[in-house]
Amino acid sequence: MIEAEQLSKMYTRGVYALRDVTLSIGKGEFVFLTGPSGAGKSTLLRLLLREELPTSGRLVVNGRTLQKMTPREVQAYRRTVGFVFQDFKLIRTRTVFENVAFVPRVLGMAADQQRRRAFQVLKLVGLQHRMNAFPPELSGGEQQRVAIARALINDPALVLADEPTGNLDPDLALDIMNLFREINARGTAVLVATHDRELIRRVGRRTITLEHGTLSEAVR
Amino acid sequence: MSAIKFSFSEAAISLWRGRRATSLSILTIVAAVFVLGVVLLATTNVERWAEGWRSAAEFSVYLADEIGAPERDAVRALIAGSSAVEAHEYVARDEAGRRFARMFPDLAGPASAGATMPASFEIRAKPAALDDGEADRLAARLRTQPGVTDVRFDRAWLDRVSRIVRAVRFAGLVLGAVLVCAAALTVASVVRLTLQARLQEIDIMYLVGAPLAFIRGPFIAEGVLQGGIGASLALAILAGAYFAVRGRLASTLGSAVPGLQFLPWTWIVLLLAGGLLLGCVGGFIASRSARAA
Repeated sequence: MIEAEQLSKMYTRGVYALRDVTLSIGKGEFVFLTGPSGAGKSTLLRLLLREELPTSGRLVVNGRTLQKMTPREVQAYRRTVGFVFQDFKLIRTRTVFENVAFVPRVLGMAADQQRRRAFQVLKLVGLQHRMNAFPPELSGGEQQRVAIARALINDPALVLADEPTGNLDPDLALDIMNLFREINARGTAVLVATHDRELIRRVGRRTITLEHGTLSEAVR
Repeated sequence: MSAIKFSFSEAAISLWRGRRATSLSILTIVAAVFVLGVVLLATTNVERWAEGWRSAAEFSVYLADEIGAPERDAVRALIAGSSAVEAHEYVARDEAGRRFARMFPDLAGPASAGATMPASFEIRAKPAALDDGEADRLAARLRTQPGVTDVRFDRAWLDRVSRIVRAVRFAGLVLGAVLVCAAALTVASVVRLTLQARLQEIDIMYLVGAPLAFIRGPFIAEGVLQGGIGASLALAILAGAYFAVRGRLASTLGSAVPGLQFLPWTWIVLLLAGGLLLGCVGGFIASRSARAA
């Protein structure tokens, strides 16, 4: 699913956010990406989202080399990847349903398909009863479930999550992780970046550890 | 859902939400299109009048009071033999006096008593002779004829009117162009405000791989709507002003000035299209910062 070879990302003044990272994540795998703040977790996710380009090395996702994509190919690639952020990134002025249906809408999907898919994924995350609520009316855990529903609406092959439980208490964090496990059980590869070692221990999946931009530990 | 439908539905919502800022940019479009409309309306009408007067342009060849019959006949022969003349008429002194009294009854009272009007030949030139200079040459020859005191040719002042109209039109178009640029920049600024308010949506759209038409489309559509509304309002105001002025002119000047005409349909369509294009350009300029944002 994901193949990184000698992957490096250098920002200005010679500071490396990632240096010579080589890793492999298989199809349908659930992997944690951990490490202290500034270790390069978010940089790796940004490279995987193709928000940034690596300085050197090679990054291949689902057979596509991310550095060699045209803008149109980047659009097509992103439709196969779901993303979840710590701050949820929900649109406050749109309802839960509209937030989720927003993605198929801006991808030009027919209105009845938009509604059907949005309802399906809201049901999957257990929020179909709150679909007319606005994000500020929801708890943090519920908002993150909406964000996960939005990430799933395109039926992606890969879901990337950047500190998805960073704003949640431990019980809610475990709920969200269980939801990721359910998603993974359906065959979707999941890569979760988190610095919460306790959560990783409780979920018990393969963990990749980054430190100062380099791979320090890869546990299977 | 097509990108166009999506863009216009999002733009309509956005226009309503930001109606205060939007009204500012619509006002600048109204000002720009209105100024252009006024300039075109005024100059088109004056040019039309001038063209009408030009086609009916007349020489007035004034004769000395003491002119003898042979000299008068020589002048008449010169006029009649010229290929530049369409029609001519001899106006004797009595007839000239009566015409003056008819045209200016207030002046034809005791103040003008005893004053006599000179006899003259009134000549209507052929339009082709006006263009190829034959009429000018005839006027020059008439001026040198014995017994001719003056030759008044309408064309000279009509040419002056045309030059003034051209200058006014140029100045108006320059002013209009400046206002159009200002309006486009205002639209761009207002649409950019909308863009700032929707940064998160744009971010999400990029991340989910939305086509560029869906990302930029709403901002361009917003500009187009502003341009369309602004241009329509300007034309409506222009039409209102036109009917008001026409009514007033008709009541004060009567038939002294030929009838006013509103802009032809081609100009109306062009002004409307110009407003839409102006808004589109403003929206496009703003939408270019979507990626940078």
